[in-house]
Amino acid sequence: MLDVLSRLDILLNPTVLGQVVVNGISLSAIYILVALGFTLLFGIMRVVNFAHGEFAMLGAFAFYHLTKDFNWPWMIALPVGVVGVAAASLFLEWLVFRWFYQRMFESMIGLLGLNMMLIYGGVLIWDTHERNIPAVSQDVFMAGDVIIPIDRLIVVVIALAALAAFYVFIRHTRAGLAMRAAAQDVETAETQGVDTRWIYRVAFFVAILLAALAGSLWGQIYAVSPHLGERPLMMAFIVVILGGMGSIPGAALGGALLGFTESVVGTAFGAAASAFLSFGVVILLLVFRPWGILGTPES
Amino acid sequence: MTKATKTGLWALGGIALVVWPWLTEDKFLHHVGVLILLTAIGASSLHLIVRTGHVSLCHAAFMAFGAYGSVLTVMRLGLPWPVGLLVGTAAAASLAAMIGPIVLRLTGKYFVLITFLIGEVVRMAIVENVALTGGSNGIFNVPPPAEIFLSNRAYYYLALAFAVLSIGLCARILGSEFGRAMNAIKDGERLAECSGVPVVRFKVMVFIIACALAGMQGSLMAHYNKVLSPENFSGIISLNLVVMNVIGGMSSLAGALIGTVFMVMLPELLRGWVNLQQIFFGAILFATMAFMPGGIIEAARRIGALLRTVRAPAGAPVARPGAAE
Amino acid sequence: MTTPLLKVELLSKRFGGLQAVADLSYEVGDREILGIIGPNGAGKTTAVNLVSGVIEPTSGRVTLMGREVTGHKPHLLVESGLVRTFQSTTVFAGSTVRENLKRGAFRLLYPGFLATLLDTPKARAARQQTEAHVEEVMHWLGLERVGDQVASSLPYGIQKVLGMGIGLAAKPRIILLDEPAAGLSAEETDHVRDTIRLVRERGIAVVVIDHNMRFITDLCDRVLVMAQGRELAHGLPKEVLSNPAVIEAYLGKRYAKAQH
Repeated sequence: MLDVLSRLDILLNPTVLGQVVVNGISLSAIYILVALGFTLLFGIMRVVNFAHGEFAMLGAFAFYHLTKDFNWPWMIALPVGVVGVAAASLFLEWLVFRWFYQRMFESMIGLLGLNMMLIYGGVLIWDTHERNIPAVSQDVFMAGDVIIPIDRLIVVVIALAALAAFYVFIRHTRAGLAMRAAAQDVETAETQGVDTRWIYRVAFFVAILLAALAGSLWGQIYAVSPHLGERPLMMAFIVVILGGMGSIPGAALGGALLGFTESVVGTAFGAAASAFLSFGVVILLLVFRPWGILGTPES
Repeated sequence: MTKATKTGLWALGGIALVVWPWLTEDKFLHHVGVLILLTAIGASSLHLIVRTGHVSLCHAAFMAFGAYGSVLTVMRLGLPWPVGLLVGTAAAASLAAMIGPIVLRLTGKYFVLITFLIGEVVRMAIVENVALTGGSNGIFNVPPPAEIFLSNRAYYYLALAFAVLSIGLCARILGSEFGRAMNAIKDGERLAECSGVPVVRFKVMVFIIACALAGMQGSLMAHYNKVLSPENFSGIISLNLVVMNVIGGMSSLAGALIGTVFMVMLPELLRGWVNLQQIFFGAILFATMAFMPGGIIEAARRIGALLRTVRAPAGAPVARPGAAE
Repeated sequence: MTTPLLKVELLSKRFGGLQAVADLSYEVGDREILGIIGPNGAGKTTAVNLVSGVIEPTSGRVTLMGREVTGHKPHLLVESGLVRTFQSTTVFAGSTVRENLKRGAFRLLYPGFLATLLDTPKARAARQQTEAHVEEVMHWLGLERVGDQVASSLPYGIQKVLGMGIGLAAKPRIILLDEPAAGLSAEETDHVRDTIRLVRERGIAVVVIDHNMRFITDLCDRVLVMAQGRELAHGLPKEVLSNPAVIEAYLGKRYAKAQH
């Protein structure tokens, strides 16, 4: 017990605390972005996208090439790369995804296949060595003992802005409303005049957009490689189970919980402890409350 | 097909399986043989679990218990391999007995997710427990069961014996009245329970037996490879076993075996093009689930039905499978 | 009266804030047909689920042939001689009629784990006896001609009879039928009614749950009327039919007043 307390002591240092908070927010925001897309695809099309992490990977590579090879300023490279990946992925929607709508079990295994194709296709194109996206800013922000790198702050700002935009979209636009209706009950939404084919494409585009953005931001913090997507996928699972599959507020809550847990526990006790804790909690949750904190039990 | 023809084919197959290693000195071919046989133990035992309606993504975790249990018993305690095999199998069975009653109450996607997570937790625990397991570096110089089994060909026969026992057990279970109850559970749990089937108890029994067999495979593989590492028991390995079941066809044991041969032989055919292999696997997985979820067996059935309609003269009634006449 | 076959005492079930069933009590004797009727939402299906072990009661007692079976799981109740049918998912859709019945006869067929793996003489005897029994059940339910047909290809009315057959294959002493005539045409309903009478002739007690007044009163020896989870009336069909509270529950206050 004393050992645990002494480890937590490290957090009282303001420099460390500042970092932990910023890390926590940036991780949470990125996880929420990934989880939102994942939960959209599940909630509306009943598809478990085991390949979701790969779209984050593609987003990171797009950002990398546009800044490194084309020398575009990051403020242009980021949106262009992210939207570009989402638009290009519509081809995959037509080729692969649409066969699995409303077929949950087949989607799990079939998209696992897509996952493998994208990872190893990526290895063929880019090989496995890690790359680094040039930091968007080398400056730091200082307030007393607290030191915060500006690029981290930018990640936080962009992620939060994207989440805010998503919130506005889902609550205040016709497309958002249609998507929420479809998430509740596809058949009823259809009888209300919602064109499901169009809604699926919009939802897919938005989901990939969010994943690609998450990947680009992830690439600011970690290295970029074709295997980049594996951790975000695992995190998406955990977040979505925590919050409840198909629940958008659930994804937000789960992402925040996971991000902060990882930041706090990881700093004080190490990455392994953090992983064990997250996994352990989720396993317990699946046993006692599989529909998550904010989900509803299926009858 | 008459009973005589069937028995004849079985006998022929059996003789072929026993004789072929002596027709070649190629160690590599023997190696592929061992690989197929040992992997078949895992795929067929997973098939038992699938036949109760649960897809487990942590089968490799039980292989790990069997492998580490066996290796540690032999190398740290100095006991002979048969004891190691028993310990490993018992370790896997114990883990299954502990978590089975809890996780088997979960349905469909939740069961897949929880087994995925459990598999990861087991792998991480192996990596963290360096003193016991050697951590991510693993354990080297694992001794074979006996001097004679240093040759691939000799190990083939050891593997053949265990594979026949294990697959035979799975086939017998599926063909018995217990298997009928399993089918009932898969087709309608609530209805099965109200027909007198003790659903939870049977599911746990199947789970324990299947995971014990996986443990057995783990021990056999560890003493064959002579090297043990947590990477051998990752989620990908569990996934491969699921893929074998899916590609072959989830509704029959033969499907799991066909899938095993397919998945083990494919990397050997595409040697040296590792990335292409994985891309090809991925493509097959996608295509199977999108267009032929019943796997190779379903494809074969459809082709067979197609050939039958082609052969029957126009206008003649074609026998439907299961017709009353 | 001798020990009743089935005795239910003060059976209650509470779901959070909702009292689904409250203080339900009744008895069923040998070869009796008891009807449980009530408008939708009266708690009839919950009552059946409570007795058949699908849900655990909050309080109350269920006694089967003198032995307490409150809260026992369904498969244990089948062992003790109580079976039930379901309103939907009545059958194993993808299997043949014969296979459906064999599954229903599980407790007769299953000789124990090792015995069935080794196909011992005991296992073989159980199999032969069960096969004969299944043929017999198919015969008196009129299903012999469709024995090898897949259940989902049968007309809905026949599927419902098959659902009954699955329960009867277990050689029960009593069978609970949950809305056996729901969704059937008049002709099919009559067929179900006649089948239920055949079941009673074979010495099996029946509890029929339905909301169709005519069907229940034609068929049953006694009727129990439920409303809002409680017993509203209990007795012979004639008595229950002319009970003003029952008429009110079904047809409204104005009609009840008009009767007087």
